[in-house]
Amino acid sequence: MAHADSLPRPLPLAEPRRRGRFRLPSSYTLVLAGVLLLLALPLVATLGYALASRWGATLLPEGLTLAWFLELWATPRFLAAFGRSLLISVGALALSLALILPVAVLAQTRYPHLDHWMNTLILMPFAVPPVVSSVGLLQLYAGGPLSLVGTPWILILTYFTIALPFMYRTLANSLRAMNVVELMEAAQLLGASPFRAFFLVILPNIRAGVQIAIFLSFSFLVGEFVFANMLVGTRFETLQVYLNNMRGASGHFTSALVITLFTVTLVLTWLGARQADYTPKEASR
Amino acid sequence: MSHAAPNSALTSAPGSAPASPATGGENALHLSGLAKCFDTTPVFQEIEADIAHGEFITLLGPSGCGKSTLLRAIAGLTLLDQGRIRVGGDDITYLPPQRRGVGMVFQHYALFPNMTVAGNVAFGLRMQRVEAGERARRVEEVVRLVELTDQAHKFPQQLSGGQRQRVALARALVVEPRVLLMDEPLSALDARIRRHLRDQIREIQRSLGLTTLFVTHDQEEALLISDRVFLMHQGRILQQASAETLYSRPVDKAAAGFMGHYNLLEAPQAEPLLGYRSGAARVALRPEALYLSVEGRTLGGDPPPHMGPARPGVVRRQRLLGNIVRYEIEVDSLSLSVDTLNRSVRTQLAEGTRVAVQADLDEVQELCA
Repeated sequence: MAHADSLPRPLPLAEPRRRGRFRLPSSYTLVLAGVLLLLALPLVATLGYALASRWGATLLPEGLTLAWFLELWATPRFLAAFGRSLLISVGALALSLALILPVAVLAQTRYPHLDHWMNTLILMPFAVPPVVSSVGLLQLYAGGPLSLVGTPWILILTYFTIALPFMYRTLANSLRAMNVVELMEAAQLLGASPFRAFFLVILPNIRAGVQIAIFLSFSFLVGEFVFANMLVGTRFETLQVYLNNMRGASGHFTSALVITLFTVTLVLTWLGARQADYTPKEASR
Repeated sequence: MSHAAPNSALTSAPGSAPASPATGGENALHLSGLAKCFDTTPVFQEIEADIAHGEFITLLGPSGCGKSTLLRAIAGLTLLDQGRIRVGGDDITYLPPQRRGVGMVFQHYALFPNMTVAGNVAFGLRMQRVEAGERARRVEEVVRLVELTDQAHKFPQQLSGGQRQRVALARALVVEPRVLLMDEPLSALDARIRRHLRDQIREIQRSLGLTTLFVTHDQEEALLISDRVFLMHQGRILQQASAETLYSRPVDKAAAGFMGHYNLLEAPQAEPLLGYRSGAARVALRPEALYLSVEGRTLGGDPPPHMGPARPGVVRRQRLLGNIVRYEIEVDSLSLSVDTLNRSVRTQLAEGTRVAVQADLDEVQELCA
């Protein structure tokens, strides 16, 4: 939800000035324009390169073409990598949801001290850099009884730890925004079992939160490279690893790949943000 | 739901008299020996009560006296340490909340935000798997009862506080609970809506003949709405009595302290006012059972037949409480509260006025503790 709030919103316009004199844009506008330019420039350039038939000696591309995209979307290796990325992200998210949702509910209702522990725990994935933890994971799971390195399973489990902070925080916040305990009690007194009370009353009210958590985590996981490369690499080539392996190929081709990936992530994030806007207003007034 | 409440409860004619108190009945509530501790601190103990079918009982007490926890224990939301709860002949002590046949209205409504008014009200019937046509009919009926027919399609967050609490009431009523529990249902509302809803709750309760337990810390609310009031203090029920008895005949110091603005005097202090030495340790005098006279004229009409001796006193303070003027009178180095009806500004006594104070001996409360 904080994500949606951090998006810049246009300020309401003041009384239109009628003096007709040229005014310098305010410092606010200048800073905003600068930041936007800085962020957009690499993307615009990449997009230009992906659409250009040739862009070498001249300042502007020599011709526009969709050939690179068409070639990319017809490459079986790309489609397979895309599928693997989807599979792993969806698997990690399903696992996260199944494990974290019950924990979040219990931490917000019956065992408040759990919330404290979870808040510490969810800092861990940020505290330990991926390179460090992936080396540790390699040592643990390269051999021995649980030989997971090189299989998709280790990625799913690792991605669970990455998704944990996003998931837990979002779910805990949407649970805290309503009085879970009292709603559960009210439902039970009306004849619902705790299980039905949860599915009929609690879940529909945190649905928006669950969706935001899923979309945000998903867009993050699809773009993950370090763990994917270190733990699995080419044995189960995901999108980012594929991109890395193709860096020697045509720049136009990889640009098309990057733009495709960016668009997918953008659409997912936008879907998540849209859900945030639909969050019902709180009942407390 | 396995309870045997008659299906006709909602359709019975308004005004059909509930069973008279203390006769029991099918939805009579019996509490025996209830006790609850949090860690080692007792929340309530030795709770004994018999509530007749259709009786409206208020649990009155200061915050922290255990009244809300007691209510939650009856609902099954808090586990008891000891004791038995019976409704009619059935022991519900160990049943989970969803199988007790007990309805509850919460202070902060606890409406389901994802459902409309009609959806909220229908929830309990859905849980009972009442068939759709029957469900719609009963929802419509009870929504009409709480005067929310026009709002039935709205969501709770579109309603005012008073409307929300009426939805909560309808939601609890529609499943025809054997006992209705209300946990300070009016506390979150403003004064005017509170008065209106209070009367509406009482009217509906009476017309349905619903055994009701209502928790409040508001003395006026308790006195106005109840058949009987249970006065709770530090986890015990001090007194179970009608409003009149509770107000005019408090059993002990704590009860007198919570009701009205009693003057509590030690027996020796009270002797000059009474004209005799009370056998009890303490005496309680209501401020309106003391009479003031100035130059031989008694304020506030004819004096009662049995008056104590007149004692000289001085008005130390006077406060206007609307229709009542409350004087603080210094008599024999005691400070007494005396209430008189505010008939006219002319009869108000200025601070420093010399008066005579007399007690109505018929209204003297002797307290053993």
